[in-house]
Amino acid sequence: MRGKTFAFLALASVLLVIVLWVAHPPASRANGEKDEKDNDKGGHAHVPAPLEYADAHVPLAVWTDPAMIARGKEIYTVRCAVCHGDAGDGKGPAGVALSLKPSDFRDKSGVAEMRDNYWFWRVSEGGTGEPFKSKGSAMPPWKGELSVQDRWAVIAYQHTFSGHQGPHVPWEHPESVVVGRDIYVMACLPCHGVDGKGDGTVAATLSPRRAPQPRDLTSAEFKFRSTPSGQLPTTGDLFRTLTEGVRGPGGVMTIGLRGYRIMPSFRYMPEEQRLEVIEYVKSLNRAFRERGEVKIVGVPTPPPVTPERIARGKKLYADAECLACHGERGRGDGPSAPTLKDNRELPIAATDLTRPERFKSGSRPEDVYRTLVTGLAGTPMPSYGDSLEPDQTWDLVYYLLSLSRDGRRAAGAAAK
Amino acid sequence: MMRIMGAVVTGVLLLTTVVGADEAPISGTVKSVDAAAQTVTLESTVKGKTRQVVVHLKPGAKIVKFIRAIEPGKTGFVEQPLALTDLKPGWVVSVETKHEGNKEVAELVKVVLER
Repeated sequence: MRGKTFAFLALASVLLVIVLWVAHPPASRANGEKDEKDNDKGGHAHVPAPLEYADAHVPLAVWTDPAMIARGKEIYTVRCAVCHGDAGDGKGPAGVALSLKPSDFRDKSGVAEMRDNYWFWRVSEGGTGEPFKSKGSAMPPWKGELSVQDRWAVIAYQHTFSGHQGPHVPWEHPESVVVGRDIYVMACLPCHGVDGKGDGTVAATLSPRRAPQPRDLTSAEFKFRSTPSGQLPTTGDLFRTLTEGVRGPGGVMTIGLRGYRIMPSFRYMPEEQRLEVIEYVKSLNRAFRERGEVKIVGVPTPPPVTPERIARGKKLYADAECLACHGERGRGDGPSAPTLKDNRELPIAATDLTRPERFKSGSRPEDVYRTLVTGLAGTPMPSYGDSLEPDQTWDLVYYLLSLSRDGRRAAGAAAK
Repeated sequence: MMRIMGAVVTGVLLLTTVVGADEAPISGTVKSVDAAAQTVTLESTVKGKTRQVVVHLKPGAKIVKFIRAIEPGKTGFVEQPLALTDLKPGWVVSVETKHEGNKEVAELVKVVLER
């Protein structure tokens, strides 16, 4: 009896070892990367592209353009196939023994998870960035050897291996933004709504029948941008808004709430999650992928503040009719202020310029400069990008900032 | 009976350990080549740790790079043999190694990328 029990236990142990071996083979001695599970998709965690690549979306027409695909095939055959294989299966002769396996472009689900900006980033920077560098990626960066168009072409050709027809976009592959969608549901949906139209259940209670309301993320109008008037924001702009939140105008109900925000700051959300949710937000608005090159309003280095500059800014404040809304002393009590409405026909308050800590788009001189140049889309605040020279804009910036108590103190110090 | 089963269990455990550790691919960047000692020093990064590995080439070990087949009717890649001295610092290679003594010993070095 004892012998049978021992035999059973011994066999069970052997089976357990075999199961463990199959499920999780021990790391190899030299490269330590023998975990097939980790390497299912070549070990390529489809992390969000960093901000400098986040707007590098592949133009929609490229995915199905026969000329681009043919060009991509030429490049792929010479530069990629030795590792990724002629069939795109990641089994090229030079790639089979790599610790981090080359991507298998025939893997439909793996390809569907990759966003276009991730793909462009990987082709551009290869394995030089994290987390791929730490995994020992041998993928070279191609940005120095392939033009942007050539990189689009090779990506379009690689995409053909997956068998997917049509552009590689989130509305074709919802799984590519599923992480961001889950975060959105938890953090954003109550205000911005299921479809991102700013009609969440909480939205109506925030400031009923008054602006600001939660942004309609599907519209073309975003207030806080570094892009010229009439354009969508950059991913970096969305990231800044998400990170900083949006400061509120204050009011009786916010007394004692220091740093009150109408949109909370998500600075404590891990950066990767913020980038994921932004990718989901962008997927709600096809225009983010249909727009061409993203232009950014340049903010020159701030010049030194001088009394003369502030005096010129004061004159500009009057000439540009800022006081009609913001009032002579900048308190948001100009003659037009009571009649102001936003693009939803909701009454909107003119910003109190004596409280820069409440400026929704930031109160640094660079932030105010950017706001003057871009305007605030969907509000009566126009863009002065075409009507003021950069030097004049700085004059106005310094005058506006001098309207606050701290600003007056700083201006006084500059005068001395 | 107990002794036999004990021996089986021990044997299987040892076997799995040995098989798991004996062969492993190393990929990395060539840092230096010592033709006299028949060694290649690679800089290899794994799980966030970068380290240098000295790979000893067995006598008769092959070093190959892959080029497109040019013979009519052939497609794909063919191996082109290289000498150890052809390897240049900065190239990326992959090596199937065996652990012998305290050395990483290789019979085949594949060039992944020349740069």
